[in-house]
Parts: sequence; structure tokens; C-alpha cells
Amino acid sequence: MVSDDEQPPNADSERQSQREDERSTDEFSGRRTNRTRWVGLGRLAVTRLWKRTTKTTSRRVVATISAVALTIALLVVVTGVALALADGGTTTENDADVQVMPESTDLLSSINGVEGARLGEANERAASIREADGVDHATPVLTEPMRLEQPSDESAASTNETEPGSEANATDNRSATDPQTVLLVGVTPDEESRTVAGLPTGELASDVDTTADAANATDTNATAAQAPGQRELVLSTTAAERLGVTAGDELAVSSSQFEMTDTPPPTVTVAAVVETSGDDETPVALGHLHALQTLSGASEGELADRVLVWGESDAAADEAAAAYPDATVETPDRTDPSLLFDDGLAFVTSVLALVVGVAICAAFVATTAGMTVNEDRRMLAVLESVGFPTHSRLAIVAISTQALTLCGALFGGVLGFVGIHALNAVASGTIAPGAIAETHPLFLPYALVIACVAGLIAIPYPLVIAARTSVLAEVSR
Amino acid sequence: MIHRILGTLASAASQPSDERQPTPAVRLDGVTHEYGATGGRLRAGEQRTVTALRDVSIDVQPGETIGLEGPSGSGKSTILHAVAGLLVPTSGSVELVGTDLTPLSTRKRTHVRRQHVGIVFQHFHLLPSLSARANVALPLVQTGVPKRARRKRATELLTQVRLGDRTTHLPSELSGGERQRVAIARALATDPTVVIADEPTGELDTATGDAVLDLLTDVGRERAVLLASHDESTLAVADRVITLRDGRVVADGQ
Repeated sequence: MVSDDEQPPNADSERQSQREDERSTDEFSGRRTNRTRWVGLGRLAVTRLWKRTTKTTSRRVVATISAVALTIALLVVVTGVALALADGGTTTENDADVQVMPESTDLLSSINGVEGARLGEANERAASIREADGVDHATPVLTEPMRLEQPSDESAASTNETEPGSEANATDNRSATDPQTVLLVGVTPDEESRTVAGLPTGELASDVDTTADAANATDTNATAAQAPGQRELVLSTTAAERLGVTAGDELAVSSSQFEMTDTPPPTVTVAAVVETSGDDETPVALGHLHALQTLSGASEGELADRVLVWGESDAAADEAAAAYPDATVETPDRTDPSLLFDDGLAFVTSVLALVVGVAICAAFVATTAGMTVNEDRRMLAVLESVGFPTHSRLAIVAISTQALTLCGALFGGVLGFVGIHALNAVASGTIAPGAIAETHPLFLPYALVIACVAGLIAIPYPLVIAARTSVLAEVSR
Repeated sequence: MIHRILGTLASAASQPSDERQPTPAVRLDGVTHEYGATGGRLRAGEQRTVTALRDVSIDVQPGETIGLEGPSGSGKSTILHAVAGLLVPTSGSVELVGTDLTPLSTRKRTHVRRQHVGIVFQHFHLLPSLSARANVALPLVQTGVPKRARRKRATELLTQVRLGDRTTHLPSELSGGERQRVAIARALATDPTVVIADEPTGELDTATGDAVLDLLTDVGRERAVLLASHDESTLAVADRVITLRDGRVVADGQ
């Protein structure tokens, strides 16, 4: 017999190695058992929930899921409305499907007062884009700050000589106001009303002769420039209030250029005063592109800040890229959720919806889950009697509650999408010209996350009820 | 897991005690329990404590079936609950396969119960939304047995209790006798050393009750069985009947 002391050194190391192997095998086995146990607990909770819903007592389960679904649906609808409220500023607000912008000029943009790059030959290229298949309309957009004022009697009289139709305006006793700087936006309107700079182009006479071919499209604009319709503006309410004019009034362009040459300033007619759909603090006016190009000296190069294209997004983008290979062609995502952070009202609305949604959802889940656990006391007692420790029983309650909440959130997300479409249909048929709520694919994961948070907030209540269950009281009944 | 439990039990049974006697499956030594005093069922204060057990001492050997008889309130169920580790007596010790349960934490008592005790209730207490097989496999979930092994074990046990064709039935689709047989199969899932049955035939008619008792008798050949009942015919299957009155053992033996 060989004692431990007499064993060769390598026998000790072998034994130690064997012990380490056994220990690591036990640890691995333990980890695997733990994992199997937790998977089993999860399966048990979900299976039990499923069987209860489909085979035994479904009323409580359906009530919980419905409560969560309705809350989440409401959250999704309100967030959709907030997203529709959120949009860019007035001068960037349009409903075009594609917009062409010059490549950014970083060197100039940092210098105050220096204009950025503009697109050249905009009229001609927009006309060619307009003729492409899949494109409904294309217009260059030129933005220029201009000083406008009510015409003096003298200039009004001279205007009257050329425009007998404006006699009523000349007899208006209202005194002229100081010149006001207004952001003039020039476009080429067509027969259909579109939104540019938050104002409708439909209030302006169409510059596009639908019977004319592409070759003489620019000539059509040039000819139209001479027509009285070229001298009309659509004013935002802010601009109209500052200038003190209403629809049908005359406005004169105030410029030292005209004073120096002692020529009467050109006048324009206010075609309409419209409330902008976005930023209502900037005075904006929408007019005809050619007239603005002529006034600002941009007519020679047919300059424009942007070209907007309406139609099928792919076709419009391809055509725009072909016309301006070096420019930036953007397909704006009007439902980008990050827009919510740029608009105060939309942000506050969505945050309120979030807080209210989480609070109501958590309250519903806590109440219904608490009632469910109260009814399940016997089940919890049975689990304890067959050897489920407290943490396992609470895990089953927590998993069941979260699974119910997530089911409700899934239904609620889908219901929210349906609700947004229904809301838009009702609004379009009654009070609004178009959609008042937007959908976004991110709404569904958003709904799930919110429901998950609400579930986590609600879980302590059913867990406390579960933890207080007395096995002896329940099994002795 | 089952084999590990069996191995542990086998080694425990094979270890000779100081007196060269096998370790009893259950040993109650001077057990006294007052409800109300240790936070039991009745939380009405110390003035209204109820003494359920008074200095009870019982030994139960493996393979022995013990019947507990006595009127309501005599302490039968309290003994079963103490053996299962569901309550800790006010004084005395409760040993299960050599392990004293009284100083253990709730978690450790639950662990011992899971390994060594199977419980059969009068009202079956099956989970209504789980199938017969899932109910039988329930204790194996906590022991970490994989799903396939759980199903295999549960199906085998249901076949043993002659319910092999009812594995996917819900409890509501089974008769009273069938439900109690499912409950017995569940109690055997972890191959426990001790099976306790509280009025196992209380909800059953005579014929069905006899079938259930036959089953418990079979179970008792390999394990210690503690059977609490009012019914003479139920107690007739016991090897030894202990009679209780007001929490005291007044008779121990046939």
C-alpha cells in the first residue's frame, strides 16, 4: 500500500487535475441545470397563460390584453398626430416628393451675408424634368427677402393708369405702412395646388401651359411674365398683418434702386392671405418665379435655390439626378420621428401621450394582474408544495404579467395603426384637407418598449400579492 | 436528477447509524405546535393561540405505511405539514432522512421537500390549465430536468397509474379518481422518499377510493407513506395506525 506521502509528485498533480475536471464538470452541469430550470419556468408561465386564454378562464386574460391594447393604441394615435404636427420650418415646408439642392458650400456658409450656392438654368431643367414619365410637376424655388409696402397715392395712381381693374384699391383711405421685409418665394405653379413654403400654389395663376411641349416651356414662362397674373402674391397671415393688407390689395416693391432712377416701383396684387401650416412667425409671400428672378437679378442665369419635383419618388429622383448630376437629390422623409424633437408642440404632445400611456397602462396591468394573482393563490400554493421556491413562483408571476402586457402591446400597436388610418379618413372627410396623423414602422417597437416599461412599473403589485400567499391557508381550503 | 436523488437516498439508507439501525425516513421528536404563536394560519395574537400538537414523537421507516387517525382538529394535517416542511413546529425536531428541518431556512426546507417529499391532497390541487402530463411533470421543472426527459418521466408515471391514454387531457376532462391518480403520479415525479396523503379518498366514491388506495399501497412498498384519514377502510391499508386526540398521540400501532 502506498501512502499519500509516498506517491510520486505527478500522482498528486493528476489527482488535482482530476478534481479540477470534476469541479468544472459539476459547474458546467449546474449552469446547464439552471438554464434548463429558467427555460422551464418561462415555458410553464407562457403555456399556462396560453391554455388559460384558449381553453379555461379566458375572461381575465382578454380583459388585461384589451386594456393594454387600448392604452397603447391611444398612445400610437396621439404620437402619430404629434408626428404629423412636427415638420420643418416654413421655408422648407413643402409636399414635394423630391428636392434638388446645390452641393453644400461650407467655405461660404460660415460668412454672414454671403449667399450660398444656387442652381443654374433652373427654369429650363425644371421644364425638362416636368416632361418626364412619372413626374407630375417640377418647379424651381427662389427665395429672396424683399421690402414691400402699401403703394403711395402717386404710385397707386400710376398703377391705376395701367390697371383699371384696381380702382377700388385706389379709393381705399387706409394710410400706407412702413416698408416691411418679407421672404418672397418664387415658384412656377401648375393647375394643381401644391404646398411650398407652407403656402398653397393653387392661389396663383398657373404658369404651365399643359398643351405646350417641353421645348417652348420656358418661353411660356417668359410670356406669362408679362401677364397681369405674374404680379400676384399669396401672403402668409403674418406678412399680411405686418403690411396691413388683405386679399385684393396692392403692394409695391420698395427699393432704393427705383428711388434712384425715379421710376415707379412695380406693384403686385395680394391674391390671397393664407395661414401657413408650419412656422407662423416669419412673414412669407409666395409669388411667380419669373417675376422674382427679374426683380432679384437672377433671371439671366435662371437661378434658383432648389428645384422641387412631385410624382413617383423613384422616377422623380432619377430625373432630377439626371438633370443635376452634381447636385444633392433628396427624398424627404416627412415621417421621420426625429422631427418630433424639432417641434415644441409635437414634442410636448408626444411626451404627454407617453407619460399618460405609461401611467394608464401600468395602472391597468397592476390592477388586472393583481386580481389574477389573487385568484391564482391556490396555484401558487401548489407550486410551493411541490418544491418551487419563492423566487421561482414570483418569476412565473412576473413572466406571465410581462407576456400579457407584450401581447396587449402588439395588439395595441396594430390597433393604433388602424386607428390612425381611421382618424385620417374621418378628418379628410370632415375638417381637414388631408392626413392629420402619420404612421411610422418604429411605432410598433416603440409601443412594445413602452408596454414593457409599464409592465415593469406594474409588476411589484402582483408580486407582493403572490409573495404574501400562505400555502397552508390555500391547500387547507 | 432522478438517479442522483436515488443515489443519495440509497447511500443515506446504506449508512449504518450508531445503533446499526437504518435511518428513519421520518422522525418527529417531542414536536409541539401552536398556531398563532409562530405566525401560522390564525394571526389573532398570542391570547388566541391554538395548540395543534403536544409533544408528538413518531418514527417512520422506509417501506412503512403509517395511518393517522383522529377527529377534526386532532393534529393529523399539522403532522403532515410539519413532515413536508410547510410549517416549522414551535418546539421539537422534525427529521427527514436524517436532516432536521426545524433550523433550516424556508428556501432550504423547500429544497428538501422537492427532493424527498411527494404530497397528495384531498382536493387533488391540479393546475386546471395544464394537461395531466404537464401537471405530473411540474415538480421536475424546478429540478432543472430537460423538457424531453420531463415528458418521458411524466408519461411513464401516468402509464403506471393506468392513465397512459389521458396524458393530454386537462383536469376538467378527468373524473375524480383519475384526477387523484394524476396527483399521485405528480407526487412520485421526483421519486421521493416520503409520500404524504391528506384524506386521499375524501372526494372519491368507494370503488374509486379503493383503486387509489391500491395505488398508494404499491407506492408504499418502496417509500414511507403517511396517510391521514377519518375513513376506516382507508386506514386499513396502513402497516401502523397512530391515533391522535387534541394534538397528542393516544395510540401507536395496529
